[in-house]
Amino acid sequence: MNGIRFRLNGKDVCYEGSATDRLLDVLRDTYDMKSVKCGCKEGECGACAVLIDSVLYNSCCVAVGAVEAHEILTVEGFKETEQFKALSKAFAELSAVQCGFCIPGMVLASQALLMKNPHPTKEQVQEGLSGNLCRCTGYNAIVNAVLNASKEGDGLW
Amino acid sequence: MVNGYKPTTLKEALSIRAGEKVIPYAGGTDLMVQNPKEAVYLFLNDIEELREIKEDDKYIRIGAAVTFTEALSSDLVPALMKEAVSRIAAPAIRNAGTFGGNIGNGSDKADSVLVEFAMGASVRLLSEKGERILPVREFCISRRVTAIRDDELIAEILLPKDKCSYSYYYQKVGGRNALAISRVAFAGAYDVRDGVIRDFSAAVLGSGGVFQRYKEIEDLIIGKTVDEFKANRDAYLSAYGEKLTFARGRVSAEYRKTVVLNLIRDYLESVG
Repeated sequence: MNGIRFRLNGKDVCYEGSATDRLLDVLRDTYDMKSVKCGCKEGECGACAVLIDSVLYNSCCVAVGAVEAHEILTVEGFKETEQFKALSKAFAELSAVQCGFCIPGMVLASQALLMKNPHPTKEQVQEGLSGNLCRCTGYNAIVNAVLNASKEGDGLW
Repeated sequence: MVNGYKPTTLKEALSIRAGEKVIPYAGGTDLMVQNPKEAVYLFLNDIEELREIKEDDKYIRIGAAVTFTEALSSDLVPALMKEAVSRIAAPAIRNAGTFGGNIGNGSDKADSVLVEFAMGASVRLLSEKGERILPVREFCISRRVTAIRDDELIAEILLPKDKCSYSYYYQKVGGRNALAISRVAFAGAYDVRDGVIRDFSAAVLGSGGVFQRYKEIEDLIIGKTVDEFKANRDAYLSAYGEKLTFARGRVSAEYRKTVVLNLIRDYLESVG
């Protein structure tokens, strides 16, 4: 039996387990990508969001077999980029983070949005983050942080 | 791979489907909620032939593995379908969820399937033996039960092109705006020309088990002038009130029926 080959944060990997395993569990348990959080396991909270070929997905709702030959980005890989630094700075400056559990998903949802639309309106940010639940901050600080990142990181996306 | 097959052509996929006990996997958004331990998946997400949106003389043809996000950026997909799928869940789910999966799972809360009922769409099924084209109303038998055979895959959803330009009405009622499963939803489409209602449909989601569409009431309306239609609006609403049935569910049947009749009233008032 051949393993499942995919790229994870820029490195080629080969997963030898079952193709039906949840990408969420594989990322956390086999590859130690602990930024990927398990919130609901049914696609309702966005805490496990990752980018597959630059598109946002909930990794709890993806079987690892589906990502063969695709490229996955988690915050562990994204954090080396200038785009991450702009988002991180904006989230920190606006106190958009409290417990932090939803933030990796929020950041990748923000990245997915800004890649498609570098200058979103407030409504477009709300729509872009509508699949990511936060139970502590309320959403205003997070939405404002994305708007600030878009402004101050102008040219990065 | 272990417990999975990942073909890149439809021919290969149909051969695996014919020979093995597999669960077709398109977007995974419904399947992975349960992810049964004994499952073997036939991954369809990288088969290009299933990822196309095309048109011919009669139909807009949406490939089974086309995602809702892809449909939203297509010029071929009609506005009524776009309105419905734009309100499914949230971006990450719309990036993964597919038309084939939405109908193939047999969910009675499938928002794209409601539109397929309202538009009189069909499903194109393929196996190694050939193709079958079934009206969506025949494909969807009851909750979790469809007419698909063990050796078949859903290839395309066929939307009748002549109905794509109809006026339409769509409303979804959920617990909140994003990430909401429809409690009830309503889709209607109609064609008025020269003061006459040439075609009319009304389809309901949320009755518990089946989608509802009543041809006998629609036949009372089709062919009427707009003035005749307006004079009889209350009678049509009463006819829907008598026909529509709602099974017990998480949200009370009385509530769902009241909301649906309000939506139908609103729809009837918008026609003409």
